Amino acid sequence: MGEVVGLLARWLHLTSSVLLVGGATLLLLAGPTDRPTARRWESWTLAAGGVLVLVALVTALVTVAAQTAVLESRAGAALEPAALSRLLTQTQGGILWLIRGGLLILLGAFLALRAEIRDRADWRAARGQIALLGTLALGLVAGASHAAAAEPGTAAAIAADVGHLAAAGVWIGGLPALAVLLWLAGRAAGADARPYAVLAARRFSRTALALVSALVLSGLWSTWVQVGSVAGLLGTRHGRLLLVKLLVFAAMLVLAALNRRLIPTLAGDAATVGRPAMRRLSRFVAAEAALALFVLAVVAAMTVTPPARHEQPTWPLSFRLTLDNLVAAPDFRAQVIVGSQVAILGVVALLASLALRRLRLPVLAGGAVVLVAGLAIALPPLVSDAYPTTFQRPGVAYRASSIAEGQALFAEHCAVCHGRRGAGDGPAAATLQPRPPDLRAHHVALHTAGDIFWWISHGRPPMPAFADRLDPDARWHLVNYLRALAAADAARLLGSAVEPERPWLVAPDVGFTVGPAFSRALRDYRGRKIVLLVLDTLPASRARLVELAEAYGLLGTLEVEIIAVPTDAAPDAIRRLAGWPPIFYPIVTDGAQEIVDTYGLFSPAPHAEFLIDRQGYLRAIVAAAGDPRRDPNLLLAEVQRLNEEKTAPPPPAEHVH
Amino acid sequence: MRLWRVVVLVDLALLIGVGAGYLWWGQQARRLARELETARAVAATAGGEREFQATGVVRAGLADVGILVITHGEIAGYMPPMTMGFRAGSPKILESVKPGDAVRFTLRGTPPNLAITAIDKTAP
Repeated sequence: MGEVVGLLARWLHLTSSVLLVGGATLLLLAGPTDRPTARRWESWTLAAGGVLVLVALVTALVTVAAQTAVLESRAGAALEPAALSRLLTQTQGGILWLIRGGLLILLGAFLALRAEIRDRADWRAARGQIALLGTLALGLVAGASHAAAAEPGTAAAIAADVGHLAAAGVWIGGLPALAVLLWLAGRAAGADARPYAVLAARRFSRTALALVSALVLSGLWSTWVQVGSVAGLLGTRHGRLLLVKLLVFAAMLVLAALNRRLIPTLAGDAATVGRPAMRRLSRFVAAEAALALFVLAVVAAMTVTPPARHEQPTWPLSFRLTLDNLVAAPDFRAQVIVGSQVAILGVVALLASLALRRLRLPVLAGGAVVLVAGLAIALPPLVSDAYPTTFQRPGVAYRASSIAEGQALFAEHCAVCHGRRGAGDGPAAATLQPRPPDLRAHHVALHTAGDIFWWISHGRPPMPAFADRLDPDARWHLVNYLRALAAADAARLLGSAVEPERPWLVAPDVGFTVGPAFSRALRDYRGRKIVLLVLDTLPASRARLVELAEAYGLLGTLEVEIIAVPTDAAPDAIRRLAGWPPIFYPIVTDGAQEIVDTYGLFSPAPHAEFLIDRQGYLRAIVAAAGDPRRDPNLLLAEVQRLNEEKTAPPPPAEHVH
Repeated sequence: MRLWRVVVLVDLALLIGVGAGYLWWGQQARRLARELETARAVAATAGGEREFQATGVVRAGLADVGILVITHGEIAGYMPPMTMGFRAGSPKILESVKPGDAVRFTLRGTPPNLAITAIDKTAP
């Protein structure tokens, strides 16, 4: 109930604010007039403006009350002055509501100046002020919108939103006023206002073209910021609302294009030619305005749904298109390239048909056929199976604790068929048809984490479903383990030397503790330090650890942290390493087992060193079977190579496969 | 007076009002930031001598210079977790612990001039 009222209030508020801006701007565009019918339209518009200001103020109050109830999480708070004033004075949104209320009241005062204004400068000032105040009040909505919560790029997102709101205000807010003017002028008694109406329609039409471009550009930007992916568009409530909005917007554009072509027919100088066209245009513009009101309702609903980027998308289709398929099957590249070029040819033909007068239909039909043929050639190789969870982000981050749990779960539930390390060589594998695949193979990387989650949950004959045996977190642990298995397999390509400027393997995050009170995660060093993660086994590793202790001061100046992880996960590791020189870098006393389980996949040697760059990518692995002593200068050289890298790659996504 | 002049005046007033509000707000924010800073500084040095409790693990005892290196957790109101050396208040304190010992210790003094005045081994 409260939600419905809140939504209705938002819609009415947005609509009245938009109509205020549009009506005032149309007045300003059309200019002052002394024709009686046109004057009557002007005074109607101003009177409607007064009503709209009232509606905007009342609905603003209702919205604020509804927000207060939500914020204080009790319905009664909506009517308590103390709670309301808390919201209004102590939140950014509340202060914006106050400012907007003030602007609307000032606007109301200017609307009251309906009396005769003869002087052109005065007239422009009075009407311009209405448009200005209305636009300010409307634009400020962006300050408390999804755009204001976008990160990073808050300022750009707000700017795009302000532009979008202002352009929408002028364009769709002007439609009803224009429809009324055309209707008045289209009546038999309205002949005196017809030149004025034609002028207004022309100027509006010219302005609208620029406004629609601004709407499309700012809308695209906001879509990128708030939705960001096809999965977000198709798979979330916010995205689907946006699709509905776009559909109606497209219908509006078709109507607008028709109306644009009607405008020249208005130019008849006498009542006989202009009037029917004017009435038809009035009806069409009114239809456009009705669609616009619907768009505003969708927008109001969008403002109360969380942006798609922050939602888990549920993919609605049983397939998806991905260029990754071409990595696995390069033979199809030529087919896709040829098909896409044929499709582009079709698009060009479609566009050309718009410009042609004769032969339009044949060219249009031909273009459509070529486009469809091109798509039929290009798309099939790109099709992959998809499931509702395909684009979901893992519910558990890619970190050692999850991978270690996944490993244990894998040994318990999966290894009997898939083999201990996922090679498809479990004891029961021979009896299965088809045989279990090698889960470390490259093709695994072509599936999203969500795909694998779906297969684990729902089975893939002859594999059974695990949804009722393992909770979702456990299934995500398995997904993370499989990702680590594939990464460990790929890590064979990593040498002991850093390949400059080529980070590609994400180092699984680890959490660890030194002594009773010092806890860190690998992630904490991101953007700050290079990390050398050392899996050590005493006594063989002692000499190397001492070597590193001696170089620790120098490595510190090169922004390197060393983390020593005893492979036997001994809690007394620090005591065992006591001596001269003292070792001051973190020696993991708690959490070592998970790290050894995870990084042991990458290198099972008793002493292994993992060089992880500032962005969290694994860049080099040094493994020693015997004496791990090494020329310390080798490490310094690798570190220096990392420090000299020019481009800082983006930090790896925490979740995505 | 002509209407357009009224409009210009109103807009000017609006501009000045919004500008003044913005400046006032900025000043307020700066004042609060300053207050917070002084409050923190006062809290850090107040009363001259102060005492902190912390836990950690002993990494090394440097007997020659009387320093105990400890990897410690957050020292509330003073220092985030890190590995660093603290002056031992007495040679006995230095001798009572070995590297690898988990300890609870007390720091006393006028920051940043602190010394360990008591240290106890905690469970392994």
